[in-house]
Amino acid sequence: MTNVVPALARVESHDLIEVGFTVNGTPAQPRVAARVTLSDVLRDQLGLTGTHVGCEHGVCGMCTVLLDGAAVRACLVFAVQLQGSEITTVEALGRPDQLHPLQEAFSRHHGLQCGFCTPGFLMSAFDLLSHRPDVTRAELPNELSGVLCRCTGYRNIIDAVDDVACAYREGLPGPGNCNSGRSLVGRNAAGPVSTPQDPVGNQETDADGGGLHTIDAIRLPTSEPTVTITVDRQIGATMDGVARVFSDVQLMARCLPGAQLTDDLGGGRYAGRATIGLGPVKLSFRGVAQIVDQQRDRITILAQGRDAGGSGAQAQFSLAAEPSAEGARLTADAQMFLTGRIAGFGRSLAGDVSRRMFADFAAAIEQAARGEEPVAAEPPSAARLLTAALASRMSAWWAAARSRIARRGAGVQNSDDR
Amino acid sequence: MKAAAFAYCRPATVEDTVAELQREEAKVIAGGQSLVPVLAMRLARPRTLVDINSVAGLGRLDLDDDALRIGATVRQRCVELDARAGVVPLLRLALPSVGHRELRSRGTVCGSLAHDDPAAELPSVLACLGGSVEITGPTGFRRVTADQFFLAAMTTATQPHELVTAAFFPIARRGEGFGFGEFARRHGDFALAGVCVKVSMAQAIVATIACFGVADGPVVRDVSGLLESMLTDGPDTTEDTVRDGISAVAGDLAYDIVDTDGDVHASREYRRTLLSVLLSREIARAYHDAVRSMREVS
Ligand code: FES
Ligand code: FES
Repeated sequence: MTNVVPALARVESHDLIEVGFTVNGTPAQPRVAARVTLSDVLRDQLGLTGTHVGCEHGVCGMCTVLLDGAAVRACLVFAVQLQGSEITTVEALGRPDQLHPLQEAFSRHHGLQCGFCTPGFLMSAFDLLSHRPDVTRAELPNELSGVLCRCTGYRNIIDAVDDVACAYREGLPGPGNCNSGRSLVGRNAAGPVSTPQDPVGNQETDADGGGLHTIDAIRLPTSEPTVTITVDRQIGATMDGVARVFSDVQLMARCLPGAQLTDDLGGGRYAGRATIGLGPVKLSFRGVAQIVDQQRDRITILAQGRDAGGSGAQAQFSLAAEPSAEGARLTADAQMFLTGRIAGFGRSLAGDVSRRMFADFAAAIEQAARGEEPVAAEPPSAARLLTAALASRMSAWWAAARSRIARRGAGVQNSDDR
Repeated sequence: MKAAAFAYCRPATVEDTVAELQREEAKVIAGGQSLVPVLAMRLARPRTLVDINSVAGLGRLDLDDDALRIGATVRQRCVELDARAGVVPLLRLALPSVGHRELRSRGTVCGSLAHDDPAAELPSVLACLGGSVEITGPTGFRRVTADQFFLAAMTTATQPHELVTAAFFPIARRGEGFGFGEFARRHGDFALAGVCVKVSMAQAIVATIACFGVADGPVVRDVSGLLESMLTDGPDTTEDTVRDGISAVAGDLAYDIVDTDGDVHASREYRRTLLSVLLSREIARAYHDAVRSMREVS
């Protein structure tokens, strides 16, 4: 509430102004026209889509964030007004593996149904309890009246906030996911960057994924990855063979199912596309890959792409090889951040498919390292991917079923048995 | 919706601000909590927004012998939380009802006065206390009392090329008591009817009410005679007696004050009913508070 912003000379309505502020502990310098609100910058430029926008004129409270420690409506503040300010969004509150007490309480008390209002309530409640840890239950309806909910009828929300208020009279724990030092890109920043002609980045990209070429450095979101995959595989190839694959980007691309390099952008950056088909779902990603580390025995690649239908993916792949008795041991790690339709698959199916693809990738690298042409160079085999994903689920199920049968057979009575 | 495009500047001094305001269709923004919705709905399309948040000195809260001086960029929530503002109890009573907490974090006291929404609380607080506003323009500044400042709905004595630089809320004296009440559909929404009351028992009995949400601006009335006629036991009259006594005549008073047609939220008659309830409740409360203040000090 007390930050004093420095003066600024007149800027015309079509000018873009660089504004420097801190979001969730990380500095950001968006370039904005004067009329752009904080909520739009958070969502469209920084990809922090946890801040929701309902009414866009200050009535609903969906867009509540903390500005210099106090809750405000992000749709009622112009980003240009925030030079030097500190902004905290719902993304900062907790991590998937360690939720903030407020988030846990909302979950426990069923304080959300559709979830649209939840970021607003969480931030409003955070502000309330951090300023007034002594707030009574009777005061909560008035104190939380700045956010609307059309689903829950509010009772469970009040229960959740009251629960946390009672548990933390000595002070509410701060945001658990404010990580300064990590670059700040949220979940849908895979999209084309905004331009003066298209300040909100709405335009469709051209056939080659145009806007993406202008990305000069790929930055991964600070949020938890949607999918994390680790593959560990003994391969019958020499370290020299592996080094040859790691040094040949074209060859590596041919190892990746459905992938194709379309352009060498220089500086270790490549444009390309990747196609995935999954039943009725057809995704065709265009994007950029950037090699950030390339050695004889390891390589790290960042990739960022977007499908015309609005699905986005960002990923970091790391491959490392070390000599072993059988030739080499290949360790591969991937962290993938998915948005849009693809994320709508649900974590587990997207994870299964990605895992399978990644295992194929590792197998293809093994072939390439042995000097064979990798099989994954074929067009993407959607059916194969899907069956593989299902097959691995089936086999897991079958294994579980077998063990149940075995236990029954042994006459073990177990409450798990149904 | 998104605001239409506008040019923007953030001057460092009042002089530069006034200079910028000489341009055509320039509008001051401080907290923006009334202005941004208007821009978002494109009910206004100023060519330039002159942001006063960098102007040195406007963020000050000062106390002199007579009044609490609130600078143009002081946030409502800062006043709510600042102990110094305790010298103006009516302000402290009213602030929690000004919008929602999230709006008060950003919204300013002076902005609310300058915007002068007929249903807003703060213009009536200022009017009830007989406070004043400092307006600065090309030729310097002038001080305008509340009764000269609020002219009609969303219309004040501030000219387009001027800005409100401060507001002065008189400090409560011994023997003064206050009441504040409003009815809104939801806490924090604009009130359907509301009232501020100041009662002084120090010498002669003086009672002033300022009503909001019921006409095109604060409606100020002197109700000293009414209150005095209720004090059958002098200063020993109970709050309940005063409330019951006033409630018998509050309907007529409200009938006279409410000067707005009904709207989708409430009919004229309903607003009268609400106001009459508020009047009896809050005048009695202010009276009780004034008696307490008299006794406390002596
Ligand atoms: S989107 Fe900001 S209050 Fe509704
Ligand atoms: S949970 Fe759906 S709006 Fe609140």
